[in-house]
Amino acid sequence: MVDKELLKEVLDTAAANGCDFSDIFIENRQTTGIRCEAGKVEKIQTGVETGAGLRVICGDSTAYAYTNDLSRNGLMEAAKIVSHAAACGKNGVNLDFTRVKPLVDFVFKERPEDVPTEQKVELVEACDRAARREGGDLIKQVIVGYGDVTQRVVIANNAGDYVEDERIRTRLTIQAVAAEGPVIQTGVEAVGGLCGFELFAAYPPEQVAATAARRAVQMLKAQPAPAGKMPVVMAGEAGGTMVHEACGHGLEADLVQKGTSVYAGKKGQVVAAKEVSVVDDATIEQGYGSYRFDDEGVPSRKVKLIDKGVLNDYLYDRLSASKEGRPSNGHGRRESYQHKPMPRMGNTYIAPGKTDPEKIIRETKNGLLVKKMGGGQVNTTTGDFVFDVAEGYLLKDGEIGPMVRGATLTGNGPEVLRIVEMVGSDLGHTIGICGKDGQGVPVSDPGHQGAHCRRYLQG
Amino acid sequence: MRLIVSAKIMNNKHNKLDGNFFGLRGTGRELDTIESEAFLGIAEAAINSAIRMGAELAEAYICNSKELKIEVRESRVETMKLAGNRGMGLRVVRDNRAGFSFSTDLSPAGVKDAAAQAIANCRLAAKDPFLQLPSPGASYPELDIYDPAIRETTVEEKIELAKSMEEAARSYDPRVKIIESSTYLDGEEEAIIANNLGLKLSYKGAFCGIYLSLTASEGDDSQTGFDLDFNLKYHALKPEEVGRRAAGQAVRMLGAKPVTTRKTPVVLDPYVAAGFLGLISTALTSEAVQKGRSLFAGKKDKKVASSKITVIDDGTLPGGIASAPFDGEGVATSRNVLIEDGVLKGYLYNTYTAAKDGTSSTGNGVRNSFKGTPEVGVTNIFIKPGSVPAGQLFSELEKGIYITEVMGMHTANPISGDFSVGVSGLLIENGQLTRPVRGMALGGNIMDLLAGVDAVGDDLKFFGNKGAPTLRISEMTLSGQ
Repeated sequence: MVDKELLKEVLDTAAANGCDFSDIFIENRQTTGIRCEAGKVEKIQTGVETGAGLRVICGDSTAYAYTNDLSRNGLMEAAKIVSHAAACGKNGVNLDFTRVKPLVDFVFKERPEDVPTEQKVELVEACDRAARREGGDLIKQVIVGYGDVTQRVVIANNAGDYVEDERIRTRLTIQAVAAEGPVIQTGVEAVGGLCGFELFAAYPPEQVAATAARRAVQMLKAQPAPAGKMPVVMAGEAGGTMVHEACGHGLEADLVQKGTSVYAGKKGQVVAAKEVSVVDDATIEQGYGSYRFDDEGVPSRKVKLIDKGVLNDYLYDRLSASKEGRPSNGHGRRESYQHKPMPRMGNTYIAPGKTDPEKIIRETKNGLLVKKMGGGQVNTTTGDFVFDVAEGYLLKDGEIGPMVRGATLTGNGPEVLRIVEMVGSDLGHTIGICGKDGQGVPVSDPGHQGAHCRRYLQG
Repeated sequence: MRLIVSAKIMNNKHNKLDGNFFGLRGTGRELDTIESEAFLGIAEAAINSAIRMGAELAEAYICNSKELKIEVRESRVETMKLAGNRGMGLRVVRDNRAGFSFSTDLSPAGVKDAAAQAIANCRLAAKDPFLQLPSPGASYPELDIYDPAIRETTVEEKIELAKSMEEAARSYDPRVKIIESSTYLDGEEEAIIANNLGLKLSYKGAFCGIYLSLTASEGDDSQTGFDLDFNLKYHALKPEEVGRRAAGQAVRMLGAKPVTTRKTPVVLDPYVAAGFLGLISTALTSEAVQKGRSLFAGKKDKKVASSKITVIDDGTLPGGIASAPFDGEGVATSRNVLIEDGVLKGYLYNTYTAAKDGTSSTGNGVRNSFKGTPEVGVTNIFIKPGSVPAGQLFSELEKGIYITEVMGMHTANPISGDFSVGVSGLLIENGQLTRPVRGMALGGNIMDLLAGVDAVGDDLKFFGNKGAPTLRISEMTLSGQ
């Protein structure tokens, strides 16, 4: 996208007043969005966005500038801004631009630009019909959203690294609204991955739509969830919002270093039951939170965060890693060229255990089975978190009972991880967009498997 | 989905800390710079291109924005961000089918590509007879929404402002241990809208804001505090007040514990009340009503809330962060009473939904950026303050809970109105705030909550474009230990 010689000149200018680190992130993003509501394809939107973000780090200070003017003038202007904003007199710029090799590779089979728009529209319409077929007259509204993004990036820094990468992400979301008398309920199902249209070979779209419709209809009959503390079983297919909130965010190194995480200073200590191992693996094939390189050009890898209950590692970007004199472990991510990178999760999950998931249910006298998690939120300082139960059932004497609605689980991260009693052997996953400091990045939380904890509070 | 800054300012997962998020727009002003003239030329070229390719209606929207963000920690600048961004969104209608494309490439070739893309996107969209664009309006409100002091103030002064906020928080109480970030930000935005019906408008606006998130600690216990102030006037920012309030909030939560499950009167502080207002704002749009996903459908002139509740959306509100002379498709903004004394009065409209209902747009065609189409949305929406001093809302209570923080508001269901959120706050005993409470869950339906309001405070406060006073609800169930 930009000539290497110009990149060198820009980085040289950015570091003119000295720096510990400087880099440039150039991006070209092409997107397609299709939306169908009320049985009509009402929106087909495409776009192209190009821009560059320049960063200079001096000690604890970061200067950041971005522009979507990729001409020599535009880039040099941004370089001058950052060079003035951060200055520390240090020099030693290496502009060899050695091509960095990834540790994992992904092949995009059906690229979005090779799939005719007709085919994408057909898929959306088929989902609309499938949802209505599944739910019958009770379905009052179906909203189908399809999106694909092709993002090409160039990342170069003054340590001499040079990375070119392409990320293709495809996503489908179906929301069904069911109503009966005065009761309105919704069912949402979403699939997505670092892949092209081949996503739908793994997830037949009409089945995804039927699942959303079925859930909306079932919710009409669901009874309000009981309030109070109770044991909770989370099915493998439920996703991992719980682990994302209960510990994922608290393991991001920037928060740990600021002292705003309950997990600060706990490396090597027991922070969870010994059944619990937590992993972030951005190398999973077709994972929504997967990538070859993070947004600082560091190759992705599997990071063991908690190993049999012991805190093993945090999620680092380059800045937080340099503060501890260690290398980044490939978790510096950003929403776009308009944002500076920070430590973020990729695909986070509790590693599968040995217990048969059926057994976990059988051994629960009274409790709640979570079959699908919704969104969540955490205060990393206190560890208090909440997440929404999109599909939940009462458990009575080891049997799955009636469906309940309106359940939100609240708990405290470190406390909940310590009281996990059993970890099942199944593993599913869900996808989402995770927001932190106003930046959204795609993540997936492969569901850990029937983790069984007590003392969740439910309201 | 971490809380602290992002989730606290907004309850949207795709939040953006920039002017666009707050619906920032600016004053109607003559095009006065060479750059603006150039942008208008580009917009017209895009429209002409689309018409030549067969569009019956074409509209170009160009947005040129600048942002500055300064994050201070321990009296040092941790991050300084300075940037500019511009792009165009192009909306076309051909054969009663809509198409849209956007691009950051404003070169003649880029503009032509965008027009071709928008036309191509029409081809497969459903036919819709209500697709229209607005004609030029007779008049637009004159608003004071570009404060030159925002641009004129030096970066050094803005850094000092952020430092003074941090200092005010630290000196409030020694237990204030960690400043997560003390942030100043501002933005300037110029928007150009033109269409082939002769509409040709531009505006320029600016805003500034500060926010602070911090942690107070005592022994093993840590609690967070947060406050913000977004303003159209630079000199109206109150860093010391924000610092003290954030610190006070964290310190008073130290030692918080859950209490037992109970049915109790509940007092919502303005921040929490504004969060619940956000939950109904989509349902008040004509789009949600027309598509059968609004709690307010078919309820016009009926009672939908306690008679103490009046909800207003006002795109012309003096000082409102989302105030602008016209909306994202060039329709003059206005003041709309949506709920009056508990009775539903009407919905918000853009040009498309108004055509469908045979009415006129209320000036609520909101654009989040050049990358999207103008959708029906709120401008400055607020619950009208009552006459009761906020303090009296507790002092009248023998027992109750004052809720100051909600977690998981974005998980609430705006279609059914069901919510179940984590809450923390302070216990009310004999008219006094006695001790901090956390780790409680509050569930219910927003309609029941609105019906149960028995008192409204006089302390309206805005958080971005949403505002509310303190509210008291006669009884709710809180789950705890």
